[in-house]
Amino acid sequence: MNNTGEKFEPLIIGFCCNWCSYAGADLAGTSRMQYPTNIRIIRVMCSGMIHPNLVIDALTKGADGVIICGCHPGDCHYLDGNLKAEKRADAIRLMLEDFGIEDERFRLEWVSASEGPKFAQVMTEFTETIKKLGPSPFKT
Amino acid sequence: MPVKVAEEWLNICGGCEVTILDIGEPLLDLLPKLEFVHMPVLMDHKYFGQTGEKTEMEIPEADIGIISGGIRNEKEKHVTEEMRKKCNTLISLGSCACFGGIPALANQYPLEELYDKVFRQSKTTDSADTPSVDIPPLTDRVYAIDEVVKVDVYIPGCPTTPELIVQALTALLEGKTFEIPERSVCDDCPAKREKKAITAIKRPLESIVPPGQKLEDSRCFMELGFLCLGPVTKSGCGGSEKVPRCIKAFMPCRGCFGPIRAGANPMVEMMGALSSIGLDPKLILDRRSTFQRYIGAQGRLRPLPKRP
Repeated sequence: MNNTGEKFEPLIIGFCCNWCSYAGADLAGTSRMQYPTNIRIIRVMCSGMIHPNLVIDALTKGADGVIICGCHPGDCHYLDGNLKAEKRADAIRLMLEDFGIEDERFRLEWVSASEGPKFAQVMTEFTETIKKLGPSPFKT
Repeated sequence: MPVKVAEEWLNICGGCEVTILDIGEPLLDLLPKLEFVHMPVLMDHKYFGQTGEKTEMEIPEADIGIISGGIRNEKEKHVTEEMRKKCNTLISLGSCACFGGIPALANQYPLEELYDKVFRQSKTTDSADTPSVDIPPLTDRVYAIDEVVKVDVYIPGCPTTPELIVQALTALLEGKTFEIPERSVCDDCPAKREKKAITAIKRPLESIVPPGQKLEDSRCFMELGFLCLGPVTKSGCGGSEKVPRCIKAFMPCRGCFGPIRAGANPMVEMMGALSSIGLDPKLILDRRSTFQRYIGAQGRLRPLPKRP
């Protein structure tokens, strides 16, 4: 609950890779699974192309949480894109501390094209986590 | 009629003033066109009248104002505001004026913690309470000039390059604008780039150059494992010679020219780049200071918020 008495609805940016996670999200949709509408999905070609700049910018300019979804290790369409994403995630977590952002606001998750239920479950969990944390410290 | 110039130094070592002197021969051509009306480093001009008879600070009117150094105390803030009022065009000279510079590394700590460390619990000298009589109070953090007043021309560098000062002044005398192009140090670096992959970080003092080594034959510092801020730093320090100054001395870039574009975040970019080529980001010690050594003002360096 914020000052005006409205329930806090977080804004979450989800980067999903074209080959696995976006298809997973699609499957969740076509299977009519329910998950929170707080997530705004951005389709990217590979989780390995999410530069830490994009995550930090999102979190410092209005998003309450950022989740990156990619193929399982070994399944990457570009062979090692998701491994790059994992390395970058370490750097992102370190930097969140420098910006004074709770590291729970960032998550990296592997979702394959057949894991519609997992996608819905991850999004539900993540939204719950962010709701508990409250608005991002960068929101005025 | 010569153009009137007012120069002011604030929170600074004085290196940028030495750079003005270091212009050398071009200064002789430039000097007849300039008239310095206020310059504490050279002239005895008091703020409140020569005998302190005035009640308000007074800096003479000038066409061009040059400020070197960032803002650390209330007096410097006051001087900056007065300079802006009296000068048509304001130049911020050097990294301290443009981005806070080395003193802005202190922005990582709250003021009280700083007082404790430097004065009250000083280990290296006699500890004493913070001096407070007859000196202006410190501001809460170090500010760059453009955080307080509008700045028209930026000449970064620690210290800056004499050629850039000449270029800027010549441009202003001709009524043109002056801007350093948005190029990175890497764009002007002659070192060879082969393959990006580093797994361990070396310290600059391990950079022993064999005698007679040519810059064109040596490899990129990053590829050799040294942290070089070239990719995220604006080029221009080399002047007409192009080759960046530190690189020329076989030393990795330390980033004194600041971000390539306004609003860029060198720390995030460097951490992203280094982790993308397979380096464990935890190996980078003190990333906040290393990657933002000269650019701590403008909110880049601040005390870490305490988590409940």
